Amino acid sequence: MTFDVQRRDELRQKFAEYAESRDQALRDELIAAHLGLAEYLARRFANRGEPLDDLVQVASVGLLKAVERFDPDRGLEFSTFATPTIVGELKRHFRDKGWAVRVPRRVQELHLAMATVVATLTQDLGRSPTITEIAQQSGASEEEVLEAMEAGRAYRFVSIDARAPTDDDDDYGGLAARLGEEDPTMAEIERRMELSPLLSALPERERMIVHLRFFEGMTQSEIASRLGISQMHVSRLLARSLHQLREKADEA
Amino acid sequence: MATRSDEVTLVVPASPEFVRLARLMAAGIASRMGFSFEEVEDLRIAVDELWYCLVGPHPEVGTVRLTCSIGTDALEMEGVAAVEGASRLHPIAVSEFSGRILDAVVDEYTLEADGARPSFRLIKRRATS
Repeated sequence: MTFDVQRRDELRQKFAEYAESRDQALRDELIAAHLGLAEYLARRFANRGEPLDDLVQVASVGLLKAVERFDPDRGLEFSTFATPTIVGELKRHFRDKGWAVRVPRRVQELHLAMATVVATLTQDLGRSPTITEIAQQSGASEEEVLEAMEAGRAYRFVSIDARAPTDDDDDYGGLAARLGEEDPTMAEIERRMELSPLLSALPERERMIVHLRFFEGMTQSEIASRLGISQMHVSRLLARSLHQLREKADEA
Repeated sequence: MATRSDEVTLVVPASPEFVRLARLMAAGIASRMGFSFEEVEDLRIAVDELWYCLVGPHPEVGTVRLTCSIGTDALEMEGVAAVEGASRLHPIAVSEFSGRILDAVVDEYTLEADGARPSFRLIKRRATS
């Protein structure tokens, strides 16, 4: 009997004992024995702006859950059973964090300022401004404007009931009420969105924006005007919704 | 469609954190071409979606080669994935919703799953003002 086979049999025996006793020391031993799996899976999610140590911690939580739920009588290898649980924990971590990456302060400030600049220029020019025009108006370079647009992907989004820091005049209570009760198109949207369980999982406001952009063909500025929020905010919500849909599609 | 020979090529690892570079490349060139903020936003959404269709949401072993061709009034972007053990488009590629997104944000697009190197191509035209 090789060492690996012997070790595997030992662990299987320990899992069987733990299933009976639920002994904490035994559980800790089983977790320690499989930390390598958690580290391996955490590395697959590295380079996304999160420290590897944090990811290993998250993966370890998934490992703990897997150890607690594992039923050795079902004949599965533990690694086969644990991998989806650990990966699920890592994905949930990224989802809960938004897509937070470190954004330099000046880019953050430009991103926040751009909501007003884009709205003002759109109104003054009667069309969507070019990046050059936004840069001139903002006193920034075109590259900085493009970076600031990217910063929207790293933005941590507020809940529908919270105030958005980029839309000072945006009354979210009012918006939530309008979206939930008064908009006559919502019933139709709900009906059409039922076609896709993925879409129906989105919050109501995001569903509305996705519908208006991709099903009704409205532009971002038209949607912004209709909902009384900035175009930058529409852009962020669209990006977030599509990101969430891709995550859910992948899980499915 | 390109009437000038200007091309920009970027080769990045087939990993989601590099989509940002793909978006910046497309947005930077579109900006130089005088595309509007709204058109640049559309282009960024298209790049996200096509990348996802091509290699999916997780890191893959391999690269994506992105080439932007600069025309007089249109930007053409091609992405070719060379990913280990994969000669397929991500399942979402065939979804109706993916098609809806792309129809709304670009003028033309294709996704090719055949062969060892799946690819996409998009064309975004600048609105005449």
